[in-house]
Amino acid sequence: MAEEIRIKYSDYRRETRVRKRSLSFSKLTRLAAKRRAEAGAPRWRRVHLNAPQVVNILSPYIGGKVGEQFRAIAPLAVYLAVFQLLVLHQHIEQPWSVFGGLIATLVGLMLFMEGLRLGLMPFGETIGHYLPRHHGLTAVLVVALMLGMGVTFAEPAIGALRAAGALVQPQRAPYLYAMLNGWAHWLVLAVAIGVGLAAIIGMLMFLRSWSLKIPVTLCTLGALGLTVLMVDDPALAPLVGLAWDCGGVTTGPVTVPLVLALGIGVAGSAGKGESSLVGFGIVTLASLLPVLAVLALGLLLAALVTPDQAMALGRAAAETSWTSKTPAAEIISALRAILPLVVFLALVARFARAAIADRPVLIFGIALALAGMALFNIGLSYGLAALGGQTGNVVPGAFAFLPGLNGSPMYDYGIGVAVAVLFAVVLGFGATIAEPALNAMGATVETLSNGAFGKRMLIWAVSAGVATGLGLGVLKLVLALPLWWFLLPGYGLALVMTWLSTETFVNVGWDSAGVTTGPVTVPLVLAMGLGFGGAVGAVDGFGLLALASLGPILSVLGLGLFIRLRHRLSAIPILLTDPQEAGS
Amino acid sequence: MTLTIPVLTDVHLITCIVQRGRADAVVQAAIEAGAEGATIHFARGTGLREKLGLLAVAVNAEKEVISIAVSRDQLNYVFERMFLAGKLDTPGMGFMYVTPVERAATHIPPEILEKLIGER
Repeated sequence: MAEEIRIKYSDYRRETRVRKRSLSFSKLTRLAAKRRAEAGAPRWRRVHLNAPQVVNILSPYIGGKVGEQFRAIAPLAVYLAVFQLLVLHQHIEQPWSVFGGLIATLVGLMLFMEGLRLGLMPFGETIGHYLPRHHGLTAVLVVALMLGMGVTFAEPAIGALRAAGALVQPQRAPYLYAMLNGWAHWLVLAVAIGVGLAAIIGMLMFLRSWSLKIPVTLCTLGALGLTVLMVDDPALAPLVGLAWDCGGVTTGPVTVPLVLALGIGVAGSAGKGESSLVGFGIVTLASLLPVLAVLALGLLLAALVTPDQAMALGRAAAETSWTSKTPAAEIISALRAILPLVVFLALVARFARAAIADRPVLIFGIALALAGMALFNIGLSYGLAALGGQTGNVVPGAFAFLPGLNGSPMYDYGIGVAVAVLFAVVLGFGATIAEPALNAMGATVETLSNGAFGKRMLIWAVSAGVATGLGLGVLKLVLALPLWWFLLPGYGLALVMTWLSTETFVNVGWDSAGVTTGPVTVPLVLAMGLGFGGAVGAVDGFGLLALASLGPILSVLGLGLFIRLRHRLSAIPILLTDPQEAGS
Repeated sequence: MTLTIPVLTDVHLITCIVQRGRADAVVQAAIEAGAEGATIHFARGTGLREKLGLLAVAVNAEKEVISIAVSRDQLNYVFERMFLAGKLDTPGMGFMYVTPVERAATHIPPEILEKLIGER
């Protein structure tokens, strides 16, 4: 007679799948204690891993970082290359050097961001946390000013602005030429002062819960006023584009997180951390105040020297810049940008009596940031800027005759201009929609507006704004229209909408402009604009960034008003009122 | 009429601590293995990271803590799937444990409640 054996299916599965062994934790701790006693070390022992374990730990870490940067850069590079090959039938010059440059940009940006996270961010957070405990408001504000100025020098995109100076013709725009060459240090200093002041006002905003509307209105009106003053003088007019572009350049990957970390730390230790709007607004001010500062510097320059002297000033500087072509120049500039910032942060940390833990990791992070910035700068000049410059040089061939370009003009004038504008629109849309900072902001906005203004909606609105702005910018370059024709009505409209909107949307809308102009977009767009301007014979190629920043302000504010109006019309309780107004 | 609260027994709580950003994969595996849902909260943790020296940069001090309540029947399978999905056998990847839950309560659809109570 057959005997029946019963086996639980679950037991069978368990045996064949994963083997479990029980181990007493007490045994483990006993063993660890014994080993510690043998080694004579009272605390934790350093763990040594073998090679496969090191690979196991490092591979997801490095893979994730590379993937992040790759997703930001690759689509843009592919788009530029494909457009150039298929629509314009032009080959890419020196493809291998451009490719190598792109790889260097990617790796450099990755190292730099990681170095920033490990080496510089801990300073910002702990200083922000400890400083207000031991020192008064004045000390906090002085540190904010210095920090705002320091981070500007470390901002990678500032290098792109300096590089742009070589392309300006001294005869047609003497002051612009002088500003970008002989006075380049003053230009960066002006931008730095602007960012420093923005940090101060932002800090006061956090502490006193000020509305963003007033500082934004004052700054915008001031900048617009100076602009109107300057466009009257033909020698000064080219400076307007540069000044407004500076605003977009400043709010890069160093400034925003560091100043924000400081601000949030200060607000937190002052007991104001609960407001959901903490952290917004500084980005806006950090892009508006530099505009004001650069415009003022332009007026100062014009008051001090005549156009002829300005030309000589620029030329003298061009001759003395002997390090400009060697790869060592990038390393030197990286050292010059980051080391003073680190020294300053370390001093302030000592002053604030903030304890920084984990010294080896900190030093490693600073080393990473240095290496990353040097690589990024090298990659920028060979990769992104080269590609952007080439495209900028070639795209006008769609509608105009360019010497040295086969078959130009390729299309009828009207169609050609349309192709060029379309190119810029798609570029702006693609570059913005992939921006990781925008994604993070979208999530915040969705929470702030209780889901009424969704993340996707914000991303689309901002991308559409940037795309429109870039398209208009290209149209402006092609038709040689003055920039203030766009700036004056655009910012005027933005101000009107600002006073109609709720505080939440004012913060989100104005900040979205600064957030979108990241370290990849800025050099690419600047190089493209300058190449484009050179090809169509414009005085300067600036202004693209300025319009790309204006676009999202208008689109986000407009969409916010539209949503509120729709809610009001359909008599649904308005979800978009911000907590402060609803509470009062 | 008195109010009835359906109290669940035979509940175990799986808690799994992984690095920030890695919880989703673990939760996904748990759901596929039959778990009904998960709660994730952010935390900061120390452990192996402090003993690694420079390699510490690869381990994020910010953590995500996943809490999943499962039935006794599901426990072993869900536990295994989460362990494997989180790659917890790699140093620094995380830690997980199971605690018995005395009782739990939540919404249980009335028709299912009727059926189960009827069976008993």
